[in-house]
Amino acid sequence: MTNPSFRDVEQLSASLDGQLSRTEMTRLEARLQSDPALAAALADLRQARAILRRTPKRRLPRSFTLTPKMVGIKPPVPRLVPALSWASAVAMLLFVFTLGANLLSQISFGAAAPMMAAAPMTNEGYGVGGGPAATQPAITDNSQVTPTAEAFVMTAPEETPPGGMRLLAPPATPAPKASPEPVNIWLYIWLGLAAVLIAAALLIRWASIQAFRRKVSIRRDM
Amino acid sequence: MDEPALIREAQHGNLEAFNTLVLAYQDIVYNTALRILGDEDLAADASQEAFISAFRALNSYRGGSFRAWLLRTVTNACYDELRRKQRRPTTPLEPETEDGDEVETPRWLADPNASPEEQLAQAELEHAIQHCLENLPTDFRAVVVLADIQGLDYTEVAAVVKKPLGTIKSRLARARLRLRECLQTFRELLPAAFRLEEERGP
Repeated sequence: MTNPSFRDVEQLSASLDGQLSRTEMTRLEARLQSDPALAAALADLRQARAILRRTPKRRLPRSFTLTPKMVGIKPPVPRLVPALSWASAVAMLLFVFTLGANLLSQISFGAAAPMMAAAPMTNEGYGVGGGPAATQPAITDNSQVTPTAEAFVMTAPEETPPGGMRLLAPPATPAPKASPEPVNIWLYIWLGLAAVLIAAALLIRWASIQAFRRKVSIRRDM
Repeated sequence: MDEPALIREAQHGNLEAFNTLVLAYQDIVYNTALRILGDEDLAADASQEAFISAFRALNSYRGGSFRAWLLRTVTNACYDELRRKQRRPTTPLEPETEDGDEVETPRWLADPNASPEEQLAQAELEHAIQHCLENLPTDFRAVVVLADIQGLDYTEVAAVVKKPLGTIKSRLARARLRLRECLQTFRELLPAAFRLEEERGP
């Protein structure tokens, strides 16, 4: 009786898993009957294999299901969201433009006011309704940022009377008390529109994310 | 579970379909990683990493055993982890006491449904097996874990480790031989029915 070679051990191991052909198996069985060392080696391998098969299975420490974040999946963006975003951006631009035009008008009015205040002479018959009345529309309405006929009349040098009369003279009668500047309604319209569009875009996006999360929700209790 | 349909849907990016496959295979994936790595946390990390990689590389799956394909991913993740482990200090399998001694039969190994005696026996058996597995070269360890612990056939093992059948047969025989010798040192700890006899003389 001799110790089995590695080739023998390989055959014995394969025989445990049914990996030998019928011829090989018959030959091995014949040798096992006549060689106790070979039979003992087979028993040892069988026992080692049986112990390994009894290895306790561990319970999972957690579920390994994936979340969209783990694999970099982002919820789809509804088609309406970009359209709403662009529309709100346009509304904001219009708001800024209107605001800017308004401010520019106020600045030009502010520059003209000291001149009016410093004018010592009056020209009762000049202009329509006097200085303040003529400049007011330019402040409050951006549609009149460009010189209107009225404003042109007031500021154009060629309209200066031959006598060198000052153009921006205050009216002879005491100036009416300046009323608060009426607010340009378009500012509110553009701002409100932009806010509504942004809110709509955010709401639709949120609803879409919620729907996506529900769709890929992980059933950990399966 | 219609596995081919789920795989097809997952290949089109359906995460829910892929998660159904994860639920079906996470047990074998985690336990394979645990036996190769011998560490719960590393095994959990390797399993998670394997599922993420599998989802991303799902289009490279060309049919055949999906279980084998998935196990190849986790085996590769384990090899990567073992390579990293060699470059940094390792954590022992057993928890340590405050004095730094290893706890012989840790409670965390035990199944809470078993009796205290069964828990002890199970923990000792697991300890012996894990110790012997860790003494094997990594390639042998993977083969024996897949074939003997997870019960894969030779063809599947060959698909997982990408080696020919002859290599699998040879590695498995060597691994069993070494394990048999190693387990003999734990003779007293093994269940009575599995106690290995002393080495026979000629």
